[in-house]
Amino acid sequence: MTPGPSRSRRYLMLFLLFCGFGIILSRLVTLQVLQAAELTARADRQHQKTVSFEGARGMVSDRHGKVLAMNMEVPSVFGVPTSLESPSTVARHLSPVLHIRSDELERKLRQDKSFVWLARKLDPEQGRRLEQLSLDGIGVVMEGRRFYPKGPLLAHVLGFSGMDGQGLEGLERRYDSHLHGEKRVTVLQRDAFGRTVFPKGVAEQAPTPGHALTLTVDEVIQYIAEKELEEAVTRTHAKSGTIIVMEPQSGAILAMAVSPRFDPNVVAALTPDRWRNRALTDTYEPGSTMKIVVGAAALEEKVMTPDSMVFGENGRMVIANTTIHDHDKLGWMTFSEAIQKSSNIGVAKVGMALGEQRLYRYLQVFGFGQRTEIDLPGEVNGLLKTPKDWGRRSLASISIGQEVGVTPLQMVSAVAALANGGVMMKPYVVSEVRDQKGRLLREVLPQVRRRVVSPETARTMTTVLEGVVTNGTGTKAAIPGFRVAGKTGTAQKIDSRTGAYSSTQFVGSFVGYVPAESPRLAMIVILDEPQGESWGGTVAAPVFRQVGEQVLNYLGVSRDDTVKIALAMKDY
Amino acid sequence: MKMLTIVAGVLLVFMFVWERVDVVRVGYQIERLKTQKVLLERERDQLQVKFSALTAPERIAKVATERLGLIPPQQGQVLMVHQQEETPIPVLPPIVQVRLARHDSTVRRNE
Repeated sequence: MTPGPSRSRRYLMLFLLFCGFGIILSRLVTLQVLQAAELTARADRQHQKTVSFEGARGMVSDRHGKVLAMNMEVPSVFGVPTSLESPSTVARHLSPVLHIRSDELERKLRQDKSFVWLARKLDPEQGRRLEQLSLDGIGVVMEGRRFYPKGPLLAHVLGFSGMDGQGLEGLERRYDSHLHGEKRVTVLQRDAFGRTVFPKGVAEQAPTPGHALTLTVDEVIQYIAEKELEEAVTRTHAKSGTIIVMEPQSGAILAMAVSPRFDPNVVAALTPDRWRNRALTDTYEPGSTMKIVVGAAALEEKVMTPDSMVFGENGRMVIANTTIHDHDKLGWMTFSEAIQKSSNIGVAKVGMALGEQRLYRYLQVFGFGQRTEIDLPGEVNGLLKTPKDWGRRSLASISIGQEVGVTPLQMVSAVAALANGGVMMKPYVVSEVRDQKGRLLREVLPQVRRRVVSPETARTMTTVLEGVVTNGTGTKAAIPGFRVAGKTGTAQKIDSRTGAYSSTQFVGSFVGYVPAESPRLAMIVILDEPQGESWGGTVAAPVFRQVGEQVLNYLGVSRDDTVKIALAMKDY
Repeated sequence: MKMLTIVAGVLLVFMFVWERVDVVRVGYQIERLKTQKVLLERERDQLQVKFSALTAPERIAKVATERLGLIPPQQGQVLMVHQQEETPIPVLPPIVQVRLARHDSTVRRNE
């Protein structure tokens, strides 16, 4: 049998098949091997979309569970410029709903992008109107927005968070690692029409919300403090003001008010100066309130007793070629009277009797020149020079609260230590951290910093400070029915132009605790640059009384005149 | 017998199909409920924000003074009435759980 045309055709067919497969094979090698990486990436870009989901930020509530900050899902609107036929028409429709100029929206919608944010975190009502418009190429997604339902209340402590849910100031920043929700990145598949197809089970993988914080602050006490501070600042035309209310036995902060206030829901137009928590970021020369520390140190070191006599030099004493004045021409007086009458000369002499090293040691023990380590950001050390840097007048000056810079928080902590029988507690604002299911993750217990003076000294000093309110410079701090212990302070500010103490700019303050025999509150009131009469006893002491009286009523603390009745217990 | 097998087979197929259909139906129901849950949670959060804003002490004080004409109590108008301390409740001795083999019940016994 000879090979015929049929055999030739078979070879030809085989050859053609071989060539065909060869072409296919070579194309496959090109696609699958040589261009594999590039083509895979291109396919991923076309079929996959990476989106990040973030769990809701944790809630912040006061000591009674009243909500102070929480997240709520609100609509954000985006555009897909590549799928828009008429960006100008869409922009015209959106403009009145989003309250954004039409030309600005059109500019965004004409960008050569497949996704562009048009407006984020809108009001729910705007979201409903957008849904009614039902515009092609415009989408709405829900995002978590931080709300502070009480407005400016406690704003300086709470701080605020940014557009992407990150803590920027205050507790929001300090506890950001707890508050922020879990972030989860998910790859979504898109179909041939570009529609998003959620992978199976994505709903079950919803990111975990952040932890919830419970504060030591009581919103009612905070409100009382803020209201009275605002009124005082307005009345005295002061530049700013601060009130801190603390529980002496635990160090728990019950209120921390700063004026001027701000609303953390609207911070875009504000400067950092407005949201700075002056209670722990700003220092001031405490003036006469520092005499509490000097007096306690002198009693503890037995340099003085309450009845020790001090000569007031008739109101004028020269030290290191400078003169220290008293507001009255005081002669001989007891140590207690020197404190009660706030005699600069009397207390300067007490300080000199203590000596540089002992005074410096007590200032350190009472926490000056170092942070209190409160759980809030931005706290400063204050200013306390070491004795080697002191001048010839420094011992006397520091004794009367000059040449030393303290924060309001340091001062109230120091005085709260006396209220607590000489034991200084660490101040704190967060008492509990719980997860989204309410399980306790962290409980903050009162923490002792150190003993500053003996219980006897604390008791004696309390009696001396009660005299300030009954007979001394702080009579306007007296609360009927309660024993108040405290001290006034009027400090001259340094004039930035001359570098000398100003005769017109003062800081008026009052720091104390009540009831003196069993303190429930330690409080400081500071008014920066009040106009007109600036004495601490005139401008700050009445605020102490107003806040103290209302808070004690609110807490149900018995007055001396409390009516005690017996109620028959019946079984109903 | 043959007929019975055919009927059983048809029933099995029917049950299988019915089960698949039901799974899809329940799946849709679950999705609907999930969406409803999300919407309800969103509404709850909105109501909570609203409630918190309405119960803010500042607002309550404003309503009390401006709308209702109330004023803060003046000095001497607040009297604390304290109930005398009741007779302290005697402290019970610790409770011990005892399991009885016979009745397999738990009784309380004071030690």
